[in-house]
Amino acid sequence: MSLPTTSDDIIVSIRSVSKVYRTFNHTGDRLKQAMTFGLCKYHKDFTALKNVSFDIKRGETIGIIGSNGAGKSTLLQLICGILKPTSGRVQVNGRVSAMLELGAGFHPEFTGRENVFFQGTLMGLTETQMADRFEAIEAFADIGEFIDQPVRIYSSGMFVRLAFAVATHVDPDLLVIDEVLAVGDAVFQQKCIDLINKLQSSGTSIIVVSHTPYHLEYLCHWAAVMRKGELSELKPTKELLSSYHELVQDELSRSPDIIRSEREGTKEVCFEKIYIETDSVTDAKTVHCTDSMCIVAEVYAKNPISNVFFRFEIYSSANELIAVVSTLGLAETIQFHGKHRITFNMSPCQLTSGWYYITAITRTKCVRLDTWKRVIDFKVLMKDKNAQNLSMDHGLLVSQGQWEFS
Amino acid sequence: MLLHLIKRDVLLRYRGAYFGLLWIFLNPLIMLAIFTFVFSQIFQARWPIQTSDIPFALNLFCGLIAFNIFGETVSRAPVAIRSYPNYVKKIIFPVEILPLVPLGSSLIHGLFSTAILVGALAWTGNLHISLLLFPFLLLPLIMIAIALTWFLAAWGVFIKDMSQIVPVFVQMLMFLSPVFYPAQAVPEALRSFYTLNPLSSVIEALRAAIAGVAIDWSSWSVALVLGFLAFFLGYTFFNHSRDEFADYL
Repeated sequence: MSLPTTSDDIIVSIRSVSKVYRTFNHTGDRLKQAMTFGLCKYHKDFTALKNVSFDIKRGETIGIIGSNGAGKSTLLQLICGILKPTSGRVQVNGRVSAMLELGAGFHPEFTGRENVFFQGTLMGLTETQMADRFEAIEAFADIGEFIDQPVRIYSSGMFVRLAFAVATHVDPDLLVIDEVLAVGDAVFQQKCIDLINKLQSSGTSIIVVSHTPYHLEYLCHWAAVMRKGELSELKPTKELLSSYHELVQDELSRSPDIIRSEREGTKEVCFEKIYIETDSVTDAKTVHCTDSMCIVAEVYAKNPISNVFFRFEIYSSANELIAVVSTLGLAETIQFHGKHRITFNMSPCQLTSGWYYITAITRTKCVRLDTWKRVIDFKVLMKDKNAQNLSMDHGLLVSQGQWEFS
Repeated sequence: MLLHLIKRDVLLRYRGAYFGLLWIFLNPLIMLAIFTFVFSQIFQARWPIQTSDIPFALNLFCGLIAFNIFGETVSRAPVAIRSYPNYVKKIIFPVEILPLVPLGSSLIHGLFSTAILVGALAWTGNLHISLLLFPFLLLPLIMIAIALTWFLAAWGVFIKDMSQIVPVFVQMLMFLSPVFYPAQAVPEALRSFYTLNPLSSVIEALRAAIAGVAIDWSSWSVALVLGFLAFFLGYTFFNHSRDEFADYL
């Protein structure tokens, strides 16, 4: 996405803003503290934001990504003026339309029409200004005659459509969006994105918070990562997202409860060691998607045994089954006794960048010999993300190919 | 915006009811009918220290109108903000007007009750020109109600128990204020406490107004001054604590 030609017109200016929440263990503690005029401390401090500074200029769209509880929503609430910073300064010039939660100001007992007008009043528009916009809102929400029904009987989709329509049709200078794009059906989502693009070109500044990189990529000029209350530097979205991806996977691989391999089976044939081999490294932890990759299993059979199958399953870090390879129909005739080495060569590995793990299974027709769940985790990287003959680093698969034009 | 909110609040109470907004009118009417029946027919009660020939039920009703404006507002105060967490946390909204919503809606209810009172006074032939002072005389009561609401609404955010405690106190105050009896009927020794209660001065002044007798302006003025004082204290307190609402809801 190209950067907009921005004026120096700053819509939001945030300077070394911190936010500390006081948490009381018990309601009584708050009373006690109030009684002593704050002389005695009965609370613990929780720092939600640490020294955050950035600017949003007119027409810019900023995306903020981060895990749950990183402080993203707190930041947005500060920008909206809903929360006051503990220290630092937040300055906003212009009308802000907050979509922290769609339809937050709606009352279920009132009709869609009444709620739309009320929401307009909340945003500081007069009745006549709202009446001018009503047609556009109604058309965008596209909920037909339900507009005159109480909101409580709406389906959640209708509710969200109407709420989104109102929030975007009040000519905001700054639109604040908190994770609300992940709603509605595909058609509506596209409609939302089109509308946001239209707002962008008409000079509306937008700040989006999300943990789905997908939306940020299509909407934002700049993005930053929020981690434990600290905001990284603003970078062009694409650049930032790739480094964010790494970060998430690193964190995933480090959390101990995920790396738990389980084994079961009769162990007449058992895996002794399983590892990944690349052209240059044995026991590799990282693989490039364009390089070849070998899954190697060293097995040991106490007694001679035949009719054995081997099977490797590759899973993504999200536990999706990506690929299964099996020796079914290949190794029946081989008699296993003592040490053997079994390899499966994937060349190239072709997976998109991210973390994956492998489960190894060996069995005869009716007996499980050894099942080793999640035996190794490995990481796939993409060296040259802009290579012309490769598909993009999205989805599951990086495939090689050429375009042809005629 | 405040008007919008009050309108919503009033409409909401009657939305979906068969008689709809008619209830605003029906409720006080039924109440007055019951009072008349019970006190005039069953108890054959007479207003102690009678200064005019206004029936017992109307004297009572007059006090009750004033007290209900106060009581309803204050009872709903602790949840005035607590029950709108979305307005505090999810949208940009001038929170200080939320506590005024219960007041506005009870004033509207009071207006309808007053209309009935006026009708009843006309029916019994007790219409006096001083009746026009009615809204003006309510001023100290309204100020006190707003002040308390600001306090209670703010506290209600932090302390959930407020919504349990306040109605009990309101009930208590109803019997301690001269709603069911005139202030003069209170024993001499305790009378000075009653003059300190701004509700009492206001209710007495209202009664004098509908009876067309001299109003005790001195105690009414004391109530007004108290009202102003409380108003500013309440507002200061509310502004002081509002920044923390979003953190606690």
